[in-house]
Amino acid sequence: MNTWHRVKNQLLARLATRFPAIGERFAANYQAQQSSGEIPWTEPAKPLRQAKLALVTTSGIHHRQQPPFDMHDVDGDPSYRVLDGDSLFADFQITHDYYDHSDADRDPNIILPLEPLRQLVAEGVLGSLAKSHYAFMGHIDGRHINTLVAVTAREVANRLKADQVDLVLLTPA
Amino acid sequence: MGLIQREIEKVGIATVGISIVREYAEKVQPPRTVFLRWPFGHPVGEPDNLAQQRAVVLETLRALYQIREPGTIVDLSFRWRREKYDDYQPPSTEELT
Repeated sequence: MNTWHRVKNQLLARLATRFPAIGERFAANYQAQQSSGEIPWTEPAKPLRQAKLALVTTSGIHHRQQPPFDMHDVDGDPSYRVLDGDSLFADFQITHDYYDHSDADRDPNIILPLEPLRQLVAEGVLGSLAKSHYAFMGHIDGRHINTLVAVTAREVANRLKADQVDLVLLTPA
Repeated sequence: MGLIQREIEKVGIATVGISIVREYAEKVQPPRTVFLRWPFGHPVGEPDNLAQQRAVVLETLRALYQIREPGTIVDLSFRWRREKYDDYQPPSTEELT
């Protein structure tokens, strides 16, 4: 995708964020996958006060030194970035042209609520917060949907399992 | 996002997602969803409003423990920028068990 397309997407994203009616039309352009069959289901393993929680986001946030998501492919980028919750907010970047992230650049807790969760850990409401969290760039379409489901989402799921995470909270853009 | 959520739930981890486009959650059918009619880029609220962000996180966690039917979408009642969070009642310990 050329620079003009990126500028156009960024402008549309800003309008869509400011004016919800435009936002709904913008969202209608993106066709979400229709799922069929059984919905996966796991009961929470432990009460919240004993559980370990991790965040997974499709908001495109990552450490500044990590490679940015590919914004030139119209089908998006199905890869992910491993986020270190302890250091991320000290030096982060959001790579995502499909929404206006100026507010999130100011306070990333609105897309990745690490601070409120840390408070809950300190108060004993939540057992613990995982050190590693995961970020995708949400706008994934076409051939990349299969890569996402069959490869990268599964990889992240297995990493979370290996890290003995009990609960996952997901946030969009 | 829902597709990723389904893969995580499949390996045996309970998940909950925040949605700001209800139609996506209806189609993708993640196990548990809370919906907010809020603008893109603000799923947990406004910058520097920690009381609001806490309330969203706690309601999302309440849904994680209280939803019994796979595919449920809970519509949260918080209005965009017209809500006071001073008298917000967090879930009890029993509701988060």
